[in-house]
Amino acid sequence: MEKFRLTLKQTSPRRVLVADDDPVMRHLITTIIKQQEYEVVVANDGREAYCILQSDSQFTAAILDMTMPFLEGLDLIRYMRTEKRLMRIPIMMITAATDIKLMASSFSAGATAFLPKPFTPEQLQSAIRMLLGTRKSNIRAAQIC
Amino acid sequence: MSFERAITTEANVLAFAPVVQTTSDAVDLELLNAFEELQADDGSDLIVELIDLYLADAPQRIIAIREALAASEWVTLKRAAHNLKGSSGNLGVRLVAEICEKLEHLVGPEPMAGAGDLVQLLQSQFDRARETLAAQRRLRCE
Repeated sequence: MEKFRLTLKQTSPRRVLVADDDPVMRHLITTIIKQQEYEVVVANDGREAYCILQSDSQFTAAILDMTMPFLEGLDLIRYMRTEKRLMRIPIMMITAATDIKLMASSFSAGATAFLPKPFTPEQLQSAIRMLLGTRKSNIRAAQIC
Repeated sequence: MSFERAITTEANVLAFAPVVQTTSDAVDLELLNAFEELQADDGSDLIVELIDLYLADAPQRIIAIREALAASEWVTLKRAAHNLKGSSGNLGVRLVAEICEKLEHLVGPEPMAGAGDLVQLLQSQFDRARETLAAQRRLRCE
């Protein structure tokens, strides 16, 4: 029974944090996530995302733009990976930068996935599905252990 | 029209004065219309919403680029160009995205020759794209 309660607690938040200062990207990403029947919490820049994360850790996943005002996506990842309550949240980094080093930096910082712009609708859908499935996989793996 | 051709075959950037587009080399309509598959069943039109958001946001980014150019604030200019590149590329506004990429790489810590011409070209290409996007919007709302 205790294990069942634990499972419910772990799988209940169907919420995704989306942080991007570009309204077009926010709308696009939000639309796809809502189609997967997840609630979306939106941050218009890195500082807003940081403020949200300080008081709220109930996210299935986070999708962060790399270049945002006030606080960059990479800084947010580093913050999330050092906070115990946030460190298991899968993170996808999105960027229009073409420098391959940024992808390596994202993964080094703790990103789960990386999606360069521009992307097709299919690529975005697949990436989001993969990201949202990551948490379930982690939980299943944790339960098996 | 490719970016390189726009740069090299049109010596005068004023040659890109806004014209009403009947066909679109300013916007990759195939890419834009690919978002059709994400349409919800609630009667909303995602493509119209994306066009509206882009046409509201992009001019502000261009103003920021112009202001940064005037003030020689290269880091600000580079950041604004980077931001505009992302949404432009995704909506198929390729020439604008390509010019933004050039700006991103052209601008360094020192004032760079050519930035002014690129910003002018950016404005004229955006004006062309805006005509096309507005026409697409009208078509979809008919």
